[in-house]
Amino acid sequence: MIAEALPGAEVEVVDETGGGDHLRAIVRASQFEGRSRIDQHRMVRAAVQERMDDGSIHALSIQTKPL
Amino acid sequence: MPANPELRQQVEEVLRDNRVLLFMKGTPEMPRCGFSMRVVGVLEQMGTEYGAIDVLPILDPLREVTGEIADWRTFPQLYVNGDLVGGCDIVEEMAESGELAELLGVEQPAAAGAQAQPEATPNPQQSPPLQVDGT
Repeated sequence: MIAEALPGAEVEVVDETGGGDHLRAIVRASQFEGRSRIDQHRMVRAAVQERMDDGSIHALSIQTKPL
Repeated sequence: MPANPELRQQVEEVLRDNRVLLFMKGTPEMPRCGFSMRVVGVLEQMGTEYGAIDVLPILDPLREVTGEIADWRTFPQLYVNGDLVGGCDIVEEMAESGELAELLGVEQPAAAGAQAQPEATPNPQQSPPLQVDGT
């Protein structure tokens, strides 16, 4: 989902509890260049919003870096 | 659901009045959430003055307000000069990299990541609780 929203992004997702609903996403994307961290996080969160809304992801911590 | 306009106005006022403002679960003295506690830890380490608002009594109406003003609905949220900086992840990353100290206009603490020294801890200004009529 994240890679679809941010083409070319490198995405690594870690399942922190093994339950599949507490995730850590490490995202590197060229689209982050020049954006504030909060904007970068907004971009990632927007990509997974659907899963947050339906409850399949309960907690998502995000780390972003320009590619 | 649109945000309560009175609450939104209160939030905008408190953001104008506090250069550094933390919306958190609980209070700096008694955080009620691990992420809020970590952001308090970072702010104390920075030695900056900050205002703190306990979001728990008005959680849902406040989510609507921060959703409107900052497109962000989870807490904690740290604002500097009225702009949302981020939640726990971002604040900790920026504390480590020195970006937060720069933004706050303070010296990067020598022991970033370690516990703040009690004597260096400023008294957080506890802002009056936000209230919505009828709750």
